[in-house]
Amino acid sequence: MLKWLCVVFTLGLSTSIVDHPLRLSLCEIEYTSNKQILSINLKLFLTDVNEAIVFDPYSKELAFCQPNESAQANKMLMDYVNRFFYVKANRKKVDLKIKSKRLSGEGENTALWVYFEHQQPLPLTSLEIKNAVFTDLFFDQNNIVYVHVNGKSKSLMLNKKTSVHQLKF
Amino acid sequence: MFKTSQSYPILFLLILLISGCKEKSASTDPKMEEMKLTQKALEIHKRVLTLDTHSDTPLRMIEPGFDMAERHDPRETGSKVDYPRMIEGDLDAIFFAAFVSQDIRDDDGNTRAKDLCLQMIDSIVASTQKNSNIVGLALNPEDAYTMEKAGKRAIYIGIENGYPIGEDLSNVELYFDRGVRYITLVHSANNDLADSATDPNGPEHGGISAFGSAVVQEMNRLGIMVDVSHGNDSVFYDAISMSKAPIIASHSNARSITDHQRNMTDEMLGLMAKNGGVVQLTMLANYLREAPPNKKLDSALATLRGNMKPIEDMTLEERNAMRRSTQELNERYPDPPATVKHVADHIDHIVKVAGIDHVGIGCDFDGGGGIEGVFDVSEVMNITIELVRRGYTEEEIRKIWGGNLIRVFKEVQAVAKRIQSEEKS
Repeated sequence: MLKWLCVVFTLGLSTSIVDHPLRLSLCEIEYTSNKQILSINLKLFLTDVNEAIVFDPYSKELAFCQPNESAQANKMLMDYVNRFFYVKANRKKVDLKIKSKRLSGEGENTALWVYFEHQQPLPLTSLEIKNAVFTDLFFDQNNIVYVHVNGKSKSLMLNKKTSVHQLKF
Repeated sequence: MFKTSQSYPILFLLILLISGCKEKSASTDPKMEEMKLTQKALEIHKRVLTLDTHSDTPLRMIEPGFDMAERHDPRETGSKVDYPRMIEGDLDAIFFAAFVSQDIRDDDGNTRAKDLCLQMIDSIVASTQKNSNIVGLALNPEDAYTMEKAGKRAIYIGIENGYPIGEDLSNVELYFDRGVRYITLVHSANNDLADSATDPNGPEHGGISAFGSAVVQEMNRLGIMVDVSHGNDSVFYDAISMSKAPIIASHSNARSITDHQRNMTDEMLGLMAKNGGVVQLTMLANYLREAPPNKKLDSALATLRGNMKPIEDMTLEERNAMRRSTQELNERYPDPPATVKHVADHIDHIVKVAGIDHVGIGCDFDGGGGIEGVFDVSEVMNITIELVRRGYTEEEIRKIWGGNLIRVFKEVQAVAKRIQSEEKS
């Protein structure tokens, strides 16, 4: 089970559209052979998620992780995520199904965490990751990807220009 | 605003014109005066060592295919620093910060953070080796001057967030050996060393922890600068009292000018002066000015959203059209930007409170830094132009642009030498 990150991952940064801040999301992918589970954790600024889905960064309409969360929230989130994000394990696209979600932080820095798990019984020989989330909103969106496979870690930066990368093990 | 790449031929003609017209109308023509001022500022900018203490460019270096030797368009890619643009902006030296996002604080998390940090450091070193004709890895204060004379840019390494130290003090020396010369104790969330200024859960250690204190002592012993940016106010006061050497804030501004918890109060600025340290001004818009409300944009967006179909009924084409309309409005009604005048306002204030010997520049490019007029590293000369406009002398600008930081760096190394010598005896 992937442990939750516990951060506000702004660098020095703010999140206002017009101030040209660094636009960031974080993705952590973990696999260990003995557990045979590929876990994928996306951390997205809530304002970016709302802007991407309902065109209003401060919208309460979908109310992620609130008691009044919209019945459409998960579907709309995944409709968006599936357009801009995928993981292929051994060249086969992982079917992303939300296992859990949560919010962290506050105000402009509130983050929505989306957690996926995928059974991966065969040894992992390659991972292909596409992460272009929010590149439709911001030309300078950067998506950090941390990959931890069998005790070895690697970080990548994906964005509009370079949205896909493959790792071999 | 001055842009080097487009303006050299024009500048050359202007200089010829100015030389031909002197004694006639130059002293009364505002445009001519501005050109003379710009010329003077550019000459100063060329002569002094220009050093930026904070850039998150290593995040770019882990982008597959990103080449530091290529010029990138910042308005197309978002990239703010590469070597061609360092040359254009005549920035002589820079600290590239290896940044690892704060994660779970246990053995697994610490091990991963260390791996990721070392990967970032390796990327920086590899980049300097690959481009050794134009840049060099710098380890000591005087390297910046040596490389400047050799026509190369000096690349220093810092670590932003002490998280990759984990709970193992020996990692501090490991990072020193890899070339790290400052460590920002904490980032946007508390870690095992110190409390963050922006952790939503509030302080945990009341400043710097017992382990953090040991880390500060080890940094003093080795000659690594202690960086308090991102720490809460208690971290600053603890660092001032714990560190045997002067400290730095690698990218922070003045709170009296812009009320943000990442900025420093006048009391802190005064103590920084007594400590002999330096505050490096950063180009993060929200730390430079409070953005006024943008009523025109808000109103236009509200009208657009009011006429929108329910989201679940929209086709992909309709959603794309709505996205285009939203972006058009954002472009039509931009917020008033942060400018180089805001930067100079902060510098003026720090000079007034702490003195000219305690202020420098740490732009935070590729970490959110970049404002109108200093959007990327190719435009940093506009800071010098504004300083000259405000009456700063060449000697004062020399201190701001690198002299102060180098002084602190030398003092940190001198303290380390003393400690190591005492240990031997």
